Amino acid sequence: MAIIDAIDGFVVMEALMLLTVFTGLVGLLLRRNLFLKVMGMDVMGTGVISFFVLVAARSGFRTPILDGNVAFPGGNDWADPIPQAVILTAVVIGLSIQALLLVAITRLASVDPSLDAGQLDQLGRD
Amino acid sequence: MSPLSLVSWNPSGSLLTVAWLLLPFLAAFLAALVPRLARPLILLVVATTLAMALAAWQGWLPADLLLLGPLGVRLQLDPLASPLLLLTALVHGAVLLEGWGRDLEKPFLLLLLLLQGGIHSAIVASDLISIYVAQEVVGISTFLLLVQGNRAPQLWIGLRYLLIGNSVMLLYLLGAALVYREQGSFALAGLEQSSGIALALLLLALLTKAEVFLSGLWLPRTNAVAPAAVSALISGGVVCAGLAPLLRIAVAAESAGSLLRWIGLASALLGLIFALAERRVARLLAWSTISQMGMVLLVPAVGGLYALAHGLAKAALFLVCDRLPADSLEGWRSQTFPWRHAAPLLLASLSIAGAPPLLGFLAKEQLGLALSGPPVGVLPGAALPAAVLLLSVGTAAVYARLWRLPGNDAATAQAPPSSPGALLLVAALLLLNLSPWALEGWRTLLAQGIGEALLKSAGLLLAGLGLQRLWPKGPDGVRLPDLEGLDDLLGGAVLVGAALVLLLGR
Repeated sequence: MAIIDAIDGFVVMEALMLLTVFTGLVGLLLRRNLFLKVMGMDVMGTGVISFFVLVAARSGFRTPILDGNVAFPGGNDWADPIPQAVILTAVVIGLSIQALLLVAITRLASVDPSLDAGQLDQLGRD
Repeated sequence: MSPLSLVSWNPSGSLLTVAWLLLPFLAAFLAALVPRLARPLILLVVATTLAMALAAWQGWLPADLLLLGPLGVRLQLDPLASPLLLLTALVHGAVLLEGWGRDLEKPFLLLLLLLQGGIHSAIVASDLISIYVAQEVVGISTFLLLVQGNRAPQLWIGLRYLLIGNSVMLLYLLGAALVYREQGSFALAGLEQSSGIALALLLLALLTKAEVFLSGLWLPRTNAVAPAAVSALISGGVVCAGLAPLLRIAVAAESAGSLLRWIGLASALLGLIFALAERRVARLLAWSTISQMGMVLLVPAVGGLYALAHGLAKAALFLVCDRLPADSLEGWRSQTFPWRHAAPLLLASLSIAGAPPLLGFLAKEQLGLALSGPPVGVLPGAALPAAVLLLSVGTAAVYARLWRLPGNDAATAQAPPSSPGALLLVAALLLLNLSPWALEGWRTLLAQGIGEALLKSAGLLLAGLGLQRLWPKGPDGVRLPDLEGLDDLLGGAVLVGAALVLLLGR
């Protein structure tokens, strides 16, 4: 029973992924450069996506696509298709939002090439 | 009304609901191909949404739809969703009317359709993932509406909105994953048993979207920079997208519901103090939104009606104030406004302050009635109604700052024409009293004796006027810290998140 043996591995993986999210959040909070803030957000996104994949893999590793009775090297337990399908949507949404943010940053670079969040904050004040 | 909890399967009813949800997106495609059709299409979407809101209130359609099997999409077209749908339809109608004769920037109408579609889905969606997708659709269309015009301040404000919105939504996804790991489904019903951390992450994101407390601090600067129409949409439409799931979670999980009541009170107080000290009209309105959204969270059953009354009035105020000459409250004192601006301004602000016979009065009374029930949590029975009463005095004081007696002089003759959108919204504030949404409430109120409520409302308004007179003004007035830099906003959200984890994680 490979899966039961791997349980400890799951806990370690889970901790690492949550740590990734936390690292991204810290970057988002502490970096002054706007571009690096967006990168921090991306790191958070990576952590969240991997967490979903991990949640899906709890029931097994086999890709949940019906393809007859072909033997699968990692055992015949299916991975949970629901979190995988869900996170696919989130990946696409995250990508498009990041693209929008980067376009806005490119335009703001003409106002303040250093992209310092503190400087840019003056823009919204009256 | 049909019972909420029954999951009914009615193919024709579900087809109708799904078609209505898809309509704005199909209309947006069509409007992109044939721009002339954009305005009629928005009107069509507004009309169908009004019909759906009525159907949801009367229970004509299945209130609970489960599509694609037990792990699939869940939609609830229930009395909780109904007033919010009505609100977003009316606000979109008003914004459309406002720009009817004007030459709008090309994508504006298209984005309006997308925003409508997103908000409708967010209001009726009732599983964690559908809520997530709808929130992101609303977020992206709001961002694009904010950056219309391409000026640097607008870009910055839009970027801030999207960056914060997406960061909290990532935490929301993490919360959703935790719920799935524990419960094996994304249904809201499982939240009662799920861990505090998961619940805290979900709540943080939705509080940010619903413009509540420290996580809603992005709002004042956004409203100050955004055009009036977009501000009206944000406080009347976009906010519903965050409120609806928040109210649903408050109903589904008792621990979240009682915590949200505290956060609501804190938000009401915070927004009030900043609104009283504010010097600019648009920002005053934004702070007041933060305060009023706190009140909406107090009782989920009344929240929809309260949000409806507030959203109509607030959107009208944004549209009227756009036509007035100065944005600074100091400049207002020396001016007289013509009737066509002063009347909607007075009526809308009186409604939020709770003056009869406007819809805001009924909403306040309903809230008071719901709170005077059995005591909640550790508070003695009378403490919560008393706190709400004090906050209402503060609200009246905030809006007393806007009240000016109308007059006619040389300057008013040259003032711009009246705002059709604001007139529509103010008319709705009066006429909706006769609609099914309010009739039942009026009946209870009349049965209980309305005299006391009228006296209370008059007392509140007078006390508010008095507080406004006493509040220190001028250059040495109250100075509050500036909490609205990007880092403050992120820090505020993290602080709220940490507090939620601590309080719910026990």
